[in-house]
Amino acid sequence: MRQHVLSFLVYERALVLYPPRFRSQYRDQMLQALRDAHDDRKTNSVRFWLSAYFDLVRSACTEHMMTLRTKVFKQPVLVHALSLGLILTLLGGVAAVTMQQMLRRGADQPQIDMVNDYASEIASGTNPDDAIPPGYVDPERNLQPFVIFYNEQGKPEASTGYLDQSVPTPPAGVFSYVRSHGSENLTWQPRPHVRIAAVVRYLNRAHPGFVLAGRSLREVEKDESVLVWMTFLGWLLLVLLLASGARALQRVERLKQVTT
Amino acid sequence: MAKAQLQSDPSSMLPLTAVVFSILAALAEGEKHGYAIMKWAALAEGGGLAMGPGTLYGSLDRMLQSRLVEETGTTDDERRRYYRITSFGSRVLVAEAERLRRLIGAARRKGSLERIHA
Repeated sequence: MRQHVLSFLVYERALVLYPPRFRSQYRDQMLQALRDAHDDRKTNSVRFWLSAYFDLVRSACTEHMMTLRTKVFKQPVLVHALSLGLILTLLGGVAAVTMQQMLRRGADQPQIDMVNDYASEIASGTNPDDAIPPGYVDPERNLQPFVIFYNEQGKPEASTGYLDQSVPTPPAGVFSYVRSHGSENLTWQPRPHVRIAAVVRYLNRAHPGFVLAGRSLREVEKDESVLVWMTFLGWLLLVLLLASGARALQRVERLKQVTT
Repeated sequence: MAKAQLQSDPSSMLPLTAVVFSILAALAEGEKHGYAIMKWAALAEGGGLAMGPGTLYGSLDRMLQSRLVEETGTTDDERRRYYRITSFGSRVLVAEAERLRRLIGAARRKGSLERIHA
């Protein structure tokens, strides 16, 4: 008996989960229906209360969703502002991704030309040591492009690119992929914080091997970071403008309603 | 105007949920209070639906707004209000029953139900 009183009290308190309008309209009727159902129940008490609480939580969620939907659809300005905000977010996202891709692809351009030039020269019979001019570019410190020739086994034979006095070598998987596909553009990270936009081409004539041209992505990634911030700030500004516009329009609507 | 036309067209309300159909069917028998509707819906002929007070009054609230049901105004207790079906509600109930009858008829003609039973 005491248990039943306690369960009923908990149910009564839990009615606070419903939206205020619904609660004020149906609270007493719901409690009465529950009392009637409890007096008339055919299942045991635990099962009865479990199903009552489950029904309460589920229907409270439904009522809140319905209330929200009604509120939103009663305010067309809000619906339009939300739709416009969503469209702006999608467009901003697509524009940012497109521009980031353009920046990244642009970073490959000098390397593509370099690889083609050196590859033609080596393929025509020039020794890689003679084709690749002497030079020293450390991509951790310098932004200039560099070129490396690797033999068929992936061992460097001539290079202008160095990291701490030694010629960096990409993972073996890169060579096997380029051997079967001819060439590849990739982002290569030979050590933490050193990222390189690299273009690799396979040669199977005269001096079989691989020509790799690369350059540091440091500046490109700075540009990408600036782009992300600019896009975010632009989006935030537009959303704020939209929100203020929607608010102002709502006030005008309310004033119209009051005056009429 | 368009909204009013939509409201007067029973087919605009179809298909009904099982709960709404059971409540309408319960009230088609005569006016009832909340627990009487719950009790009727739980019977085999009422659809065998075990609905709690939250589900019942949530559905009744929307049915009142759609003018499928209305409060009778008569009450033996403030906590026990009576509801009845409106003429629009009756037309919606008939339209849904007809829709279900056609659906079951078509399934029977094609032998779908018999195949499942077999």
